[in-house]
Amino acid sequence: MHAEHIKHDFEPKIVAFVCTWCTYAGADLAGTSRMQYPSNVRVLKFPCTGRIDPVFILRAFQKGADGVLVSGCHPGDCHYMAGNFHARRRFAAFRALLNFVGVDLNRLQFSWVSAAEGGKWVDVVTELTERVRTMGPMPEFKELEHEEQWSTFAGTSVDKSTVLNSPELKEAYDSIG
Amino acid sequence: MNAKANKNQVTSIEPAYYQAITEAIRKEAVQILKDETVVGVVGYLPGRRKGTASPALVTTVEEAEKLIFSPACVNNLSVYLTKAKKGVLKQGKVGIVAKGCDMRALAGLMTESQLQREDLFIIGVVCPGVYGFGVERTGTVTEANIARKCRECTVHMPEGADVAAGTHAELADLTPEEAEEMARIEAMPQAERWAFWKEHFSRCIRCMACRQVCPFCYCEQCLCDKNRPQAVESSPRPAGNMAWHLVRAMHLAGRCGGCAECERVCPMDIPLNLLNRRMAQELKELYDFEAGLTPVEKGPLNEYKENDDQSFIK
Ligand code: SF4
Ligand code: SF4
Ligand code: SF4
Ligand code: SF4
Repeated sequence: MHAEHIKHDFEPKIVAFVCTWCTYAGADLAGTSRMQYPSNVRVLKFPCTGRIDPVFILRAFQKGADGVLVSGCHPGDCHYMAGNFHARRRFAAFRALLNFVGVDLNRLQFSWVSAAEGGKWVDVVTELTERVRTMGPMPEFKELEHEEQWSTFAGTSVDKSTVLNSPELKEAYDSIG
Repeated sequence: MNAKANKNQVTSIEPAYYQAITEAIRKEAVQILKDETVVGVVGYLPGRRKGTASPALVTTVEEAEKLIFSPACVNNLSVYLTKAKKGVLKQGKVGIVAKGCDMRALAGLMTESQLQREDLFIIGVVCPGVYGFGVERTGTVTEANIARKCRECTVHMPEGADVAAGTHAELADLTPEEAEEMARIEAMPQAERWAFWKEHFSRCIRCMACRQVCPFCYCEQCLCDKNRPQAVESSPRPAGNMAWHLVRAMHLAGRCGGCAECERVCPMDIPLNLLNRRMAQELKELYDFEAGLTPVEKGPLNEYKENDDQSFIK
């Protein structure tokens, strides 16, 4: 079965942090069942959602992700009993922090996907991909990567072409990954 | 509250008030050193310049008689019982002078098993407020020169101390500047909030003073110093700065006692306490937790309830 590949103007990069016991197995099921879903998602497997540090999410955004998915076992199903419960609190707090500094939370999704829910995995990934696609690229963290301190001193005599965020460097950066 | 209803609310707090606290601290410190309850007392001595104060560990009665409490006693001394200074506690029980906001740090450190209550003799200060940063130090504390955090202080009366020095007095009708500023940021459109924080964070020079002064940043290896793999870029550039501030705000969420020391020491004038307060507010709303005055079993991010809110998870 080959689904038709539609070429869009903008292909969002989605990074998915998943736990190995539920969501990874669910994604695997989707794959072995030959379900089709957008290939925009890069999956990173963790022993538990409890291991997914908020700094990983930041790192993903900094390195060019337009959307991030964190997914693990449903409450009560955690392989380590409570890893997902701890993660739930941590991410609730982290969302509030990101929101306070002005990050659009529509780019960040948390889900519970079990090993049996291949279909749900497909839905979650498809929905997030399409949502981010309509939002367009996420410029905020990438801009930070490009910027140098002194280059932000708008209105000063600093010549921006001489500082490190040159078009060449920008291009080199964009060509990575 | 009706200001007239409370006769202890005044428009300026005179030096005599701090003098009374000073006397009480000296008396107590001398006593516990004499009867060998403690091996030393962490408190404040006069600074070298007029009108300043500096933290000190006094171990003799003569020194204890020089201890002071003045509006310049801004430091949160609990940081002297953590990190590199841990050795202090090995000598025996230690006395410490603590304002209400500093007591929160002590309680938090006990929660995290960094301190044992029985190792401490806490001289609580019934604190009317301290000078803000860069204000005129006129002798009396007024609405004009009091620290931002003191405007909305809820812990003038310390709880859980061994003794309390001073009597209650507080300034009347203070505008809660921090709460107003936080509401202002929250009301901004998202892009404006990003621009606001980006501008502030981009000035950060990564001196790490905010970390060093914080009683809760006692990690022997800070995540932000790790370079294999490097989680947070360590040079003062915008991307790493943003990550550093978000990581630290996350690490302090549910732990920070709100002493505002991080903000006070920041040479780049970054409003760090707004981040701390925002996180504290969020954890209060979500889990009804407040970094409090008494040690608890676990902080809000170290525990969970099965029925915690998960409306954000699909
Ligand atoms: S916040 Fe409260 S306890 Fe702390 S210095 Fe100000 S008035 Fe004193
Ligand atoms: S920033 Fe985090 S890791 Fe670093 S010292 Fe503070 S609490 Fe520890
Ligand atoms: S984060 Fe700042 S306000 Fe909170 S405890 Fe540390 S130094 Fe004090
Ligand atoms: S004290 Fe200020 S300038 Fe220094 S690292 Fe902290 S936020 Fe940055």
